[in-house]
Amino acid sequence: MNQKELLKGNIAIAKAAVKCGCSCYFGYPITPQSEIGEYLSAAMQERELGYVCAESEIGAINMAIGASSTGAKVLVSSSSCAISLMQEALSYAASDELPIVLVNVMRAGPGQGYIYPSQGDYNQTTVGGGNGDYKIISLAPSNVQECIEMTYKCFYLSQKYRNPVILLLDGLLGQMAESVELAENTYPEIDNSSWVLSGAHNRPSREIHSLEPNQDKLNRHILDLNNKYKKIEEEVTDWEEYMCEDAEYIITAFGSLSRHGKAVCKYFREKGLKFGLFRPKTLYPFPYKRLNELSKNLKGIIDIEMNLGQMLKDIRLAVLSNTKISFVGKPVGDWLKRDELIYAIENVIKEDYASIH
Amino acid sequence: MQVYTKPKSIKENSSFTFCSGCDHGLVIKLVAEVIDELNLQENTIAVASSGCSVFLYDFLDVDCIESPHGRACAVATGIKRATKANKNEKFVFTYQGDGDFASIGLGESLHSALRGENITVICINNTNYGMTGGQLGPTTAMGQITTTSPTGRNRAYHGFPIKAAEHIALCDGTAYSARVGVYNIKNIINAKNAIKKAFECQIKGLGYSFVEVLSSCPTNWRLSPSDSHRKIETELTQIYPIKVFKDITND
Repeated sequence: MNQKELLKGNIAIAKAAVKCGCSCYFGYPITPQSEIGEYLSAAMQERELGYVCAESEIGAINMAIGASSTGAKVLVSSSSCAISLMQEALSYAASDELPIVLVNVMRAGPGQGYIYPSQGDYNQTTVGGGNGDYKIISLAPSNVQECIEMTYKCFYLSQKYRNPVILLLDGLLGQMAESVELAENTYPEIDNSSWVLSGAHNRPSREIHSLEPNQDKLNRHILDLNNKYKKIEEEVTDWEEYMCEDAEYIITAFGSLSRHGKAVCKYFREKGLKFGLFRPKTLYPFPYKRLNELSKNLKGIIDIEMNLGQMLKDIRLAVLSNTKISFVGKPVGDWLKRDELIYAIENVIKEDYASIH
Repeated sequence: MQVYTKPKSIKENSSFTFCSGCDHGLVIKLVAEVIDELNLQENTIAVASSGCSVFLYDFLDVDCIESPHGRACAVATGIKRATKANKNEKFVFTYQGDGDFASIGLGESLHSALRGENITVICINNTNYGMTGGQLGPTTAMGQITTTSPTGRNRAYHGFPIKAAEHIALCDGTAYSARVGVYNIKNIINAKNAIKKAFECQIKGLGYSFVEVLSSCPTNWRLSPSDSHRKIETELTQIYPIKVFKDITND
C-alpha cells in the first residue's frame, strides 16, 4: 500500500496524470488551476516529455489535438472562461474521435467573473459550446482522492471510446488539501495502432479530418458518432447513492457540494425524516434511468448546486412529472454551508418538518 | 532517356480538383517531389488547414490531419512534441493559406516561430480568401478589389496587408524564411529549392522554417491563368519581393 500524502486537488490531478503515462501537457495560466501546469512544467521536463506554455488556451487545446493524433496521452487544464475558448477544438476533437483529457477547475462566471468556487459550468460541460451533434464524457469528483481515481478513469475512457473527456471540479476542490493515497493506475492500456498517425510505414497513409463534402458520408459519420454515444451511455454512466434505500426525500448534488449534502441527510435522519443523497459521478452520461427508478416513491427531490440550477433540468428529465422538485443553491462564493442548506431545506419541506417538531 | 513520372508521394489515381490555373496543385507537386527526394514519405505527418489548402490530404500520400482554421502551427507543435516525447520523432509540416496562417492563426503562427518549433510551414499567399469566394484577406494588396473591398483595399476601412515572410524572419526561433513564386520556370525551380532547404532545416533540427509562395487565384481575381501569373510577376512581386529573408545555414 502506498503512503498517505497531503495533496491539493490540483497537484493530485497532475501527479495522477504522470502516474498513468500522460506524455504531453499543454496549458495557459488561469486561476484557480495554475498549480497543475506549474507542477507538470517540472515533472514533464525531468522526464523529457512534452510540455508547452501555450500562447493561449486555443493554442493549448489544438496542440492537444496534434499530440493526441499520434497516440500520445494528453492532458490540458484550464478554467471556465478559458474553457469557453476551447469549444471549437473540442467539437473538432469529438468529430475526429481524438482522446484528450481536459480538466476544468471551475471559477464563477459568466464572463471573467472571479476565482470563487462555483459549479457554473455544468451546462458548458454537458451540453457543450461547440457546433454539431457531439458529446463529451464528463466526470465530477467530490474529494481529492476521487480527483486521482477519476483522472485515471478519464485517461482510460478517452482512449477506450476515442473521445475527449472533461474532469469537472470547482475551485474549492482544486485548492483544498486532503490526505490521499496515490494508488497505482490499474486500467488496461488501449491498443490505438489501427488509427494513430505515425508515418505511412508499411501501411497506406491515414487521414484525420472532420471536413466531409460528401453528404452521405457526413451523415453516416454523425450517425456512427451517435451510436458510440449510445454505447457510452450504456457502459459509462456512474453515480453514488447514499442512504437512498428507504428515502422519502432525495437530495441531488454533484461534485464537492455533495459532501455537505450527506451531512444534511444525517441531520434530517436524526430528526426522523428519511433523507438520502443521489450524486451523478458522470454528468454526461447522466444517470437518468436510476434516478427515475428511485423517484417513484418519493415525497420530493431537493436539488442543491453552486449555480442557479443547471443540473435541475436533467433531474426534471429523469423523474416522473408528478415528483415534487425543489432547488436550493447560490451561484458564487463560499461553499453553501451545512446550516444554510438545512435552513433552506426546512423551508422546502416545512409541512413534514413542522409535524416532527 | 529520362521519363517524367508522377511523384511517389502523390496518391495514385488522384487528380487535382483545384480551379483552372490555380497554383495549389503545382505547389503540392513540388512538396511531393521534395518529400520523395529526401525520402520522407514514411516518416511524415502533414497538417492541412481550412480553406482550399485543406484538400492536401486528397492528393498527398502521407499521414495527414486537418486542423481547425488557423491552428495548424499549434497542431503541428503538438505532433512534433508528442512524437519526440515518445521517442518516435516525425517530420512535420503544415500547408496553409495566407488567411489561415496570417489572419485567424497569426497568434499560433508567430508563437510557434518564436518558440523555434522544429516544424516547416508552406504558406500559399494568393492575396484573398479563395474558398469562400474571394474576400479581402490579410495579404490583399492596397487598392486590390475583392468582394469585400469593392472599391479596392484602402487605409480607412481595411488598413494594411501583412508581409508574412519578413515578420517570420524577425523571430529568433526561425531558421529559414523565404518568399518564392511559381509564375515561371525559373521561379518554380527556385521555389522547389526553397521548400527543400526549409525541409532540410527541420531534418537538421535547426528550428522553424517558412516558405511563403505567391500563388495565383484566377477564379477570384477574374483573370486568365496566364494573366494571373503576369500580375504576380509585374505587380505582386513589387509589394511582396521574392527573397530569402533569413537563412541560418548561411551564418
